[in-house]
Order: sequence, then structure tokens, then C-alpha cells
Amino acid sequence: MKLLALYNRVNVITTIIVMLITGILYYVAISWILNGQNDKALKVEEDEIFDYVKLNHQLPQVFDSKDQQISFTEAPANSVKRGFINTRYRKDKNDYEPGRGLVSSVTVNGKYYKILIVESKVETEDLIQIIFSITIGVILFLLLVLLIANRLILNRLWQPFYVILKELKLFNITDNQEIPQIATNIEEFSELNQAATIMTSRAKHDYKDLKTFTENASHELLTPIAVINSKLDSLIQTENFSEKQSKLLTDLYTAVSKLSKLNQSLLLLVKIENRLLTDQQNINLHLLIEEMLAHLEDIFLDKQITITAQLNNKEIVANNYLIEILLNNLIINAVRHNYAGGQIVIDLTADNLIIKNTGGSTPLPEEQIFTRFHKSSGSDGSGLGLTISKQICDNFNFSLSYQFNSPYHTFIVTF
Amino acid sequence: MKLLIIEDEEGLRESIEEYFTEAGNICETAATYQAAIAKIELYRYDCILLDITLPGGNGISILKKLKENNYTDGVLIISARNSLDDRLEGLDLGADDYLVKPFHLSELKARVSAIIRRKMYNGSNLLLFNEINIDLQAKTVVIFDKPVKFTRKEFALLIYFIANKGKVISKNAIAEHLWGDGIDMADNFDFIYSHIKNIRKKLMEAGGNDYIQAAYGMGYKFTDK
Repeated sequence: MKLLALYNRVNVITTIIVMLITGILYYVAISWILNGQNDKALKVEEDEIFDYVKLNHQLPQVFDSKDQQISFTEAPANSVKRGFINTRYRKDKNDYEPGRGLVSSVTVNGKYYKILIVESKVETEDLIQIIFSITIGVILFLLLVLLIANRLILNRLWQPFYVILKELKLFNITDNQEIPQIATNIEEFSELNQAATIMTSRAKHDYKDLKTFTENASHELLTPIAVINSKLDSLIQTENFSEKQSKLLTDLYTAVSKLSKLNQSLLLLVKIENRLLTDQQNINLHLLIEEMLAHLEDIFLDKQITITAQLNNKEIVANNYLIEILLNNLIINAVRHNYAGGQIVIDLTADNLIIKNTGGSTPLPEEQIFTRFHKSSGSDGSGLGLTISKQICDNFNFSLSYQFNSPYHTFIVTF
Repeated sequence: MKLLIIEDEEGLRESIEEYFTEAGNICETAATYQAAIAKIELYRYDCILLDITLPGGNGISILKKLKENNYTDGVLIISARNSLDDRLEGLDLGADDYLVKPFHLSELKARVSAIIRRKMYNGSNLLLFNEINIDLQAKTVVIFDKPVKFTRKEFALLIYFIANKGKVISKNAIAEHLWGDGIDMADNFDFIYSHIKNIRKKLMEAGGNDYIQAAYGMGYKFTDK
């Protein structure tokens, strides 16, 4: 829920409740005051009756007045209790209005009479109604004004917040872009801005440290690997190995070769992420793929893999070295995870490059295959090939995706 | 031929020295920048193997010094810096080739041989090994005056073998030489075997000797002994 919506909801509900309570209090108070006035008028009338009776020792003549009706009825002595009542006021024969009445008693010449004085309350009610409608009108108007004001104020006040939010969304740890300082007088937002700037620059700093570490570590590893490699090369010159020893040496070679490739891949990843390989050329993908396929022909033949390539002309501007690595990785993967006698289909169009290969019968986990050191079971690769491929694609704003359409595992580079 | 190995890592320096030392070769070594400068001021070499990161200075400065003095020594940069910029800088400054660590000694030997061939024979492109005559430019092989056709990979492998004659070359080294290090199918070297088989067959069919020996399943040796 948006802050504005929540804020408005709270605001409207409290305003309505407060206004309702005020309205009720208002109504009660006004009713009370007006009733009091009515009652006073009734009492004045009563007093007049008493005065008249005292003076004349008889009941006064009853006139039909405009808003008061008085009636006397004989009643048993002391049977009437004095008090105000809400009753009806008969305007015409069958037309009643709400009224306020005073019940009292008087003794004239030894006879006991009940007095009922009724006054119409129509005007009072009208007044209350007018006051009440004005109140409701004010409430509605106030609500409207509040809503509009909230919208304007909130949108404006929260502008810096949305700017910071947008910057945070765009934040990429590998970019050199910093979160900019936002001009705002609101302390909370400038604090948020500062916190975001500090946090992101710290994250970048840590990330850079980590990358430097990876790079340095890989560099430092190169020399010992080079020594092992050269010592192995020297060792096999010393002849007279038993079969067991040559097997051991072959295994050592394989392991060192893997170690060295792993190391190279790590260095390459750091370089791509640091965008150190910046020079770009026009690359004719059609030619490059054909060259590559010719180069790898032995390997296809060895595994009896059939290659079907449909290559249209496509030129891209990119780093030649990286594109070669990308193509090499994808094609070698298509071979490595293939079975003997399998197929590889390569389609190059103006929009994308599709490399399909037969292989395992179950789809690969799409979210994981591009992460570092993810390897399918039985793979002897470094687990970095697809990570590097993905990084290369990201680097040139291409996208790399995977699909499984039985029996083909499909990798698509979209330009 | 006369070589200077400028490399600070003792293990690597010794291995290279040992691998290159054979009849007719003189190998000298330098472990620091100063030692290297002292050597190149006094002597000329057919090829200098130059490490970039050295105690006391940068290998690139040594290269600059060589070029400033118009010395014509061949220079092969060996460096841990697998960076395109370094590679380009080195080659721009006049290095003849660039090899990234870790490398196989056989690869190093092949590169050094190529540099020396270019220097010594003034761009002559003929390579001779007993009865085998190779024209590197035209990529043709003639045995006993008969032309023999080799595929591109077989040709590359033959040159590689001749540059490393008398040495055991591991299958890994061969695979990396032929397919580059992008390929990593170390558990399957059958395709090397089929190339070797073809080369051997073509050499023998043309009346040549069988120079290729399998070495304990680890690799191959090209030798006339």
C-alpha cells in the first residue's frame, strides 16, 4: 500500500470520527439550549396562568395562539406531577408537529385542574437541521481539502525520497556511478541520502577490495603453477618411467592444466567485471564462427557429433578476444555435455545466436547455471565457463538465456 | 644459439635453462633487473626470454633499452600478466612474441625457435630436418623431393615436433598448441593420436623415417636417434 493511500485512509477515518463526535455533541448542546428556551417560554406561560388564577380566582380563557396550546382538565386532587414532556403539537385537525409540553396543576375555587401547555418545536427542529447540514457540509469540504492538500504536499515533500529510491534501484555494484547528493531541506531525507551514499560507497569499496584480492591471489598462484608445469615438462625428459609412474604423471598434468585454466578464468572474470578489456572492433560473427568450427573439427569428429550451422551475416562491435571466448565456451559446452553421435545446431540471425545441443534428458536449473562454480554432475569443466559467458554478454548489453526443448539444450545470445 | 633467460623465479629459470641447454646452445640467466641490464650491455643474444615483473625494475624498461640501442636481439616476453594491454605494449615496443605463464616448455621452445629462425635466416622460410624439407611460408612439405600433403593441424604439429626434437612433449602441451587453451578436454586425447598416426603414415609412405615415438602414454618424442 502506498504511503499516500495509507495516510489518506487514516486521515479520512479520524476526520470522520472526530467530526461525527463533534456533530453529535453539537446537536446535543443545541437541542439542550433550544429545549431550555422552549421550557422557559412554557414556564412564563405557566406563571401567567398562576397569576391570572390568583387575581381572578378562575381559569383563564383559552385562546388558540399561533404556537402555544393550553388545556385544562379536571383531575383528582394532587394527582399531577409537575414536569416537562416531549409530546405532539396539533397544528390542524390531523396535522401534528413535534412539540414540547409542560404539565402542571392549579387549584381554582377548591377544584383541582391539570394544566397542559404545549409548544411547537418545528422552528427549533428546523434550526437544528440547518446547523446540522452546515456542519456536514463543512466536514465534506474539509475532507476534500485535506485529500487534495495531502496529495500535493505528500507528493512534493516525498519527492527526494522517490529520487533516492530510484537511485538505489539503479545502483549497480560494478558501476562507477555514485548516488548523487539530493538538494532537500528535510533533515530525514538528507540523512537517508547520506546513509545511502555511505552504504553504497562502502559496498563498492568492499567489492573492489574483494576483486583486488581475487586478482592478486590469482596472480600469485600463476608463478607456482608455472613452476609446477615446467618441472613436469622437465621431469618427463628423464625417461625410463614405469607404466604406473606415467599414469601418475598424466594425472598430474591434467590437474595442473585444470588449475591453470581455473586461474585464468578467475583472472578473466575480474578483468571483464572491471571492464578492463575496452578496445572494440567490428566483428563478423559469421566468419568467426566458421573459423572456430573448422578449428574444432577434430573434436566434433572425435565425438561423432553432427554440426548443422545456419549462419547469416551479422556484424557486431565488441572486443574480439572476449567474443572468441564467448563462442568458444558455448560451443565447447555443447560438445562437452553432448553424447557420442549427438547433434549441435547453430543458428545465427540478425537478432540472435542460438546454439542447441543434444545431451542430458533433463533441463538444467536455469537460475543456477550462470552462477560461479555451478557444475552439472560429471562435468570436468571449471564451472566458470557460463559465468564468464554471461559476464561477456552483460558487458556488451547482450542477453544470454537458456531453454530446454527436448532433446535440445539451447543457449540464446540476443544482440 | 645463444639465449638469455631473464626470470626472477628460480624454479622456472632453472627448468627453462635445462630444457634449452643442448649441444650448440648457450644459455645465460639473470634473476634481477640489474643483472639483466649488465648482461645486455655486454653481450648480444639470439633471443632474450624476458619476464615483465622483476625485482629492481620492469622488464618493459629492459625492452626499451634494447630498442634504444638498436640491438637486434630477439625478445620473447614471458609474463604472468595476461592482459591485452601488456601484450600490445610489449609487441608495440618491438618484442617478437609474448607468452603467458603458465606455459609448457615445448611451447616456449617452439616460439623461441620461430623467432631465431626469422632472425638468423633473414626471413628465410625453409626448415630442414634430415630428409624433411618444410617451406613455412607456402606451408608445403617435401620429402626426398616428393611433395607430401599435410592438413593444417598436422603441419602445425610437425613444426612443433621439429622445434622440440629429442624432447618428450606431453599430450597436454600438444592439445594446447593445436587448439589453444580455450579447449579443455583433457580426459580425451584420442584426436591427438589420430593426427600423430596420420603424420607418421605420410612420412613413411613418402619413404621417410619414423621419427615419432610414443613416450609411456604421457606424450610423444620426435627424434632421429
